[in-house]
Amino acid sequence: MMAAAPPVRRTLRRRGEAIGAALWLLGLALPAVLDSTWVAVAAIFAIYAITALSEDVILGRGGMFDMGHAVYVGIGAYVTAILNIEFGWSILATLLPAILLAAATGALLAGPLIRLQGDYLLVATIGFNAIFVLAMQNDLAGLTGGSDGLTGIDVPVLFGVELASQSAMFWLDWVVLGIVVLLMRNLDRCEFGRTLRYLKQDELAATTLGVDARAAKVLAFAIGAGLAGLAGTLFAVQLSTVSPSSFVFTESVTLFAIVIVGGQGSVPGVLLGTALMFVVPQFFRQFAEYRYFVFGFAMIAVMVLRPQGVWPRRALGK
Amino acid sequence: MSGLLELHDVGIRFGGLQAVDELSFSVAEGQIVGLIGPNGAGKTTVFNLITGVHRPSAGEILWQGRPITGARPHRIAALGIRRTFQTIRLFPEMSVFENVRAGCHLSVRQRWWQGMLRLPAQRREEAALAERTHAVLRQLRLDHLADEPATSLPYGLQRRVELARTLVGDPRLVILDEPAAGLNEAESAALSETILAVRASSITVLLVEHDMSVVMKVSDHILVLNFGRLIAEGDGAAIRDNPAVIEAYLGRDDAAEEAA
Repeated sequence: MMAAAPPVRRTLRRRGEAIGAALWLLGLALPAVLDSTWVAVAAIFAIYAITALSEDVILGRGGMFDMGHAVYVGIGAYVTAILNIEFGWSILATLLPAILLAAATGALLAGPLIRLQGDYLLVATIGFNAIFVLAMQNDLAGLTGGSDGLTGIDVPVLFGVELASQSAMFWLDWVVLGIVVLLMRNLDRCEFGRTLRYLKQDELAATTLGVDARAAKVLAFAIGAGLAGLAGTLFAVQLSTVSPSSFVFTESVTLFAIVIVGGQGSVPGVLLGTALMFVVPQFFRQFAEYRYFVFGFAMIAVMVLRPQGVWPRRALGK
Repeated sequence: MSGLLELHDVGIRFGGLQAVDELSFSVAEGQIVGLIGPNGAGKTTVFNLITGVHRPSAGEILWQGRPITGARPHRIAALGIRRTFQTIRLFPEMSVFENVRAGCHLSVRQRWWQGMLRLPAQRREEAALAERTHAVLRQLRLDHLADEPATSLPYGLQRRVELARTLVGDPRLVILDEPAAGLNEAESAALSETILAVRASSITVLLVEHDMSVVMKVSDHILVLNFGRLIAEGDGAAIRDNPAVIEAYLGRDDAAEEAA
């Protein structure tokens, strides 16, 4: 009677995990079969997927309408760029400050905003995104390089090996994505992950069982923002440049849409959402701007036909 | 009289409505206290005031002699006060097991990062939580339903799941809001036994209930509320014979027989 999940569900979960692990291993071989343009697409997919999973901690799991998530990616990217270019830190050394500053910003922002209900929080986070972009454009503290941003970020060095090729960089992103997916799986199965589900499903019942709603939501914001900061570092390394235009409001909207379209609180859903929103449009490049037109219709169709997302979280997941 | 829980001149006003007015009573440790009164008398509001859902506009609430007036609900829960809801509030997308395990929240020691890294200490705690949850499920004869979606169960069973969720947290005081609502006669009788068993494990019980057979059977002390004010208190016999209660609560003589 120790089994917490019933056998059928546990079998399904194990099978899902096995398929996920197999897909991840297959993914490692992508540089062998794709040209470097598509390897770059795969690398950016991995970075986007990490970012989308981080947005899902706040939006999908925490149930908080964060429409300014690009800010935290931006903070991570700028921290890496500034520490590397201005202060000569190695890329690896910038990772921790990038995560921590993004997480601290998320927590500080969430503190006072958490009391706001859905739509009000949404508007407030949009405002924060606008402020962030303006601050970066105006060369904050003489460090952010204004509208052009910062260029000349080093390639990362891991165990004395320069990850100079696009393939090497892809592998780095792919490994980090694998780790983040594992963290999300664990989050699903630990008390903090469950606490967010309690709050989302019935906040009053949760608080009368002793859940400190405010603390849990601030923590969700900090974790989501911190993981976004991590993605920001990878993003800066991939492009070797950062500029305000990468972290504008519409980027936040895309992240928001990925989670909603993919399936809130569902790792496969968010990954699939990222693929649909980011990789599929790459196939329609010849249509130039029109690819987003097709894409907009696809989003509407999903929301009408499958409002819970393409691959929703199983209702009775453990 | 000093008790585990005391209310002193507690009142709350919603707009023009004085829902609870100068209410004072005391719940002694180890007792089962019934709170009765006609619909709209303010019974659920009293529960909401005690559990921090509403903040009283007047008066003081004491827990073991210390003021807890206006504390937030999770603070109240941390004192060992747990409640059920008149309109059953189970987590809709969770199984019976998951709902009951939620009641363990305050005793969980794992930190979020231990959980996200799935460290050995966290896994051991998960196993212990599952064991404790199953023990309570067995105690309330719900173990065979552990994996069922909680809100797909019949009303009576959902109420039992909600009760299990309060008991798994080792409470000092359990507050039950109409636990017999929607139950048939046999289920009500079983509920009375369950409530008495809860008290026997040295948990104090405060309940609102319309089913007089349950209230009369289990209560050591009964409080009668009408229009937000306490109009009578005493044991079952005293309440039954109290003319103010008969008039306010039961209305007519023939209804008094029904209550008896």
